[in-house]
Amino acid sequence: MEDYFSYTAKLFNLDDASQKPEALKGIRVMDFSHVIFGPVAARLLADYGAEVIKLELPFYGDLWRPATYWGKYWKHSNPIWHNITKNKYFLSVNLALRQSKELIYKMAETSDVVIENFAPGTADAWQIGYEKISKINPNIIFLSCSTYGQFGPMRYFPGWDLLAQGASGVLTLNGYPDTDVFYKLPDYVGDFVPGNFAALAVLMALYYRKKTGKGQYIDMAQTEGLMRTLFHYTYYSITGEAIGRTGNTDPTMMPASIFKAADGKYLALACATAGQFKKFASAIGRQELASDPRFADTIERLKPENAKTLTEIVTEWVKSKPGVEIVRLADEAGFPAAEVADDFTIANDEWRRKRGSVVLFKDDVYGNLVIAGPSAQLSGTPSRTKWLARPLGYHNRVVLKKFLGLSENEIKDLEKKKVIGTFDDRPGLKPPVYYNLDEDPIYNYGKEVSS
Amino acid sequence: MSSREEVYTRHGGKGGDRGKILTEMMNAEGKAEVLDDILVLDVSCANFAGIICASFLAEFGAEVIKIEPPEGDAARQITPFGVTVQGVGIPFMFEGRNKRYMTLDIKNSDEDRKTFAALAKKAAVVIESFAPGEMDGWGIGYRQLSQVNPGLIYIALSAYGQYTDKAREAARAPDTDITSQAGSGLPAQMGAPAEDREPFSWPLRGGMWVGWYISGLSAALGGTVALLHRQNTGEGQMVDVAGMDAYSSMVGMPATIGFTWEKARPRIGVLDFILYPYGHWKCKDGFVAIAAPRDHDFRALLKILGLWEQEDDWRYSSDRIPDILEQALHLHRIIEEKTLQFTADELVRMALNYSRKSARSKWRGGGVPIVMKLMTPEEAMTNKQWHIRKAFQEVEDEKLGKYTISANFVKMSESPPRVKWVASEIGKDNDYIRKKYLSD
Ligand SMILES: CC(C)(COP(=O)(O)OP(=O)(O)OC[C@H]1O[C@@H](n2cnc3c(N)ncnc32)[C@H](O)[C@@H]1OP(=O)(O)O)[C@@H](O)C(=O)NCCC(=O)NCCS
Repeated sequence: MEDYFSYTAKLFNLDDASQKPEALKGIRVMDFSHVIFGPVAARLLADYGAEVIKLELPFYGDLWRPATYWGKYWKHSNPIWHNITKNKYFLSVNLALRQSKELIYKMAETSDVVIENFAPGTADAWQIGYEKISKINPNIIFLSCSTYGQFGPMRYFPGWDLLAQGASGVLTLNGYPDTDVFYKLPDYVGDFVPGNFAALAVLMALYYRKKTGKGQYIDMAQTEGLMRTLFHYTYYSITGEAIGRTGNTDPTMMPASIFKAADGKYLALACATAGQFKKFASAIGRQELASDPRFADTIERLKPENAKTLTEIVTEWVKSKPGVEIVRLADEAGFPAAEVADDFTIANDEWRRKRGSVVLFKDDVYGNLVIAGPSAQLSGTPSRTKWLARPLGYHNRVVLKKFLGLSENEIKDLEKKKVIGTFDDRPGLKPPVYYNLDEDPIYNYGKEVSS
Repeated sequence: MSSREEVYTRHGGKGGDRGKILTEMMNAEGKAEVLDDILVLDVSCANFAGIICASFLAEFGAEVIKIEPPEGDAARQITPFGVTVQGVGIPFMFEGRNKRYMTLDIKNSDEDRKTFAALAKKAAVVIESFAPGEMDGWGIGYRQLSQVNPGLIYIALSAYGQYTDKAREAARAPDTDITSQAGSGLPAQMGAPAEDREPFSWPLRGGMWVGWYISGLSAALGGTVALLHRQNTGEGQMVDVAGMDAYSSMVGMPATIGFTWEKARPRIGVLDFILYPYGHWKCKDGFVAIAAPRDHDFRALLKILGLWEQEDDWRYSSDRIPDILEQALHLHRIIEEKTLQFTADELVRMALNYSRKSARSKWRGGGVPIVMKLMTPEEAMTNKQWHIRKAFQEVEDEKLGKYTISANFVKMSESPPRVKWVASEIGKDNDYIRKKYLSD
């Protein structure tokens, strides 16, 4: 029999990925969403082959376009925005104007999914909410994303990732016990996790529609998404006590902490089971720990007084060895350990590139950019990157001509009325300076291009 | 309800019946289940990413069989401070949604492997978390099962994935939440700046299972994409989730920033890399979260807090981003001086009053400064919003008694997910499963 890893190497070969079928081919998504939460849900659909048309306000665009880390732009674009909105068609149309409605309603006829995350009530006030769109297309799958949901007394409250972390309790959990030092989860996890939940809900709705022909309305509250990931509520309902903050130690396994190695590297080391603990004990030459009545049994090991003693033992041992050596030992012996990876190691680790979880992508407009690959690799219908984010209004002509059958004159008229538009001079909205849009056949779709 | 609502969106205006209509529409009772024709086998062991993935499919109506050895999955003992109810850990109870339980010792028994293969022939989805290649070595991996069942979706969870040289070398490395968090980059971004005293200056673990929930969610999402493809073509495939990818692949920022900036971001404590103000502040009686990051939101916040004289110095978001940490902390303290003078409720009220006025104004650009009282998970459970939305559900396990869970992550009008029952008993459904799937 062929070796397992050469079999899987072929099964997942990245070079074949672009030739493989796309699971969501033929699905059209109207994406009214902005910032991160909604856009990520839509992008996940685009990654698997859906045709996602993102509608943004002319000359302003999505408010996240200019929002880059420490204000650092990359080729006049927001580098992290590429991951949030790649693979989409960028149409810039003012949703609030009466004249836009005709375009949107027409697009709704052939769309399968609509996604929005305005403050609840906004889409309805603009006559582009579920009530209106489902009259035009009864089989539509309409996803509304918000912080607290579309009904309930808090429904009209606007919000961001931070508020969802604050309202679910997540924010108070990250930090040290007996102090009031704690932190929000970084990098807008409170948008990305709910965004993935939202995409999962849409996929389920697509599955259901294929079986029954029926569309539906989806109400995704980001706080509820986060709440689904906390067993803390159950712990409280059973014990009457809170888990609270436990610093760098995970109270569900033992050992399970972030430690500092001899060379100053930080690493996580854990033993989830008695078996793993046995392997750990013999790997560090302390077999007796595995038969110590305080530690042999998993539940005993987890009890706070025993856990404290054991954590001290492990802390001392980790201090005596460099990080790489510990991780190598762990991989050999079969207990979990990993160095704390940072931006730089993640961007440059060779294995991540080979796996496709970090991708050096060559884009027609922006050139080479390293972006994250999917968090699940599919052998048959893989997620893929086809293009990065585009300047505001980049696909106006493609969408309006190809998908909606408008003529060049009609488009010019819409431009004059500022129903549609493009970018102004702000970074995040405009193309790189070196890039000549006049020669770009996609931007000028259906016009004569001089190249 | 509608007359007392805090309506302050700038567009939604009227409030009214929409909330009531929606409450009705999103009721799950008696509605169809999406995956009612799908059989899922979860043989993951000591790995909650697998259990979580299985839960999501079960909540959408799949028949999910949790297969474990006679002594039970070691995941049953993965629980805070060793707290169990009759030997069952809290996370296992929390995720014990709509599942069937069967005992098979596929690690040691040839006979049981055959039984597993017979079940897998009828299954749409298999979920496993053994060392990569282990199931294959036993003759029940994707390679073998897909020969008999080409429509099979095989979801494998591990630390480094199923392919690449690294995966081969580190195949024995088990996947846990904390190593997944560390290996995929979350702790590097959280904690006090390096200059602070130890251990506060260390990278900090997320105080919940960020790694395992992201892996489980990613597996369910990838698996559902695969189910759609199977629905269209009859073809199955393999879905490979690596814990070391979880966080970095879902949020995407580490990879791109590591490339464009050519170094790693330092830790910056309670501040945010992009937005300000966007965090939490001490107040008279606890903490408030404040988000007023856009320039017009910030202006509004200054007005509310009586800090208008600061406007000149901090007008643009580019003035406020913490690229010079000391400067940003200076502003942080200016705001804190004010928040300390009020209770959380007062601050929330002040922001609401402002927002309501600005929502009614015909002038655009009033801003939406958001102030919220910080909640612990336990406090969150008492919020009326979640009561009305049935976000928490009291469930009863036949053996373990009553407890509360946060229920479904989404509301859907036609085919919503739901928790029909909870159960955790080892081997509880052995007979049912043998009769239903193995009697021919
Ligand atoms: C993010 C949030 C707080 C912003 O609140 P807001 O500024 O009051 O905006 P609304 O949601 O009511 O949307 C109206 C704005 O959308 C903007 N907009 C975005 N795309 C537009 C388009 N294509 N056409 C017209 N307007 C558009 C306009 O600027 C409009 O502002 P205006 O009233 O000044 O003209 C709010 O959208 C929200 O709570 N969303 C739900 C939760 C969420 O997803 N948060 C973000 C998480 S990343």
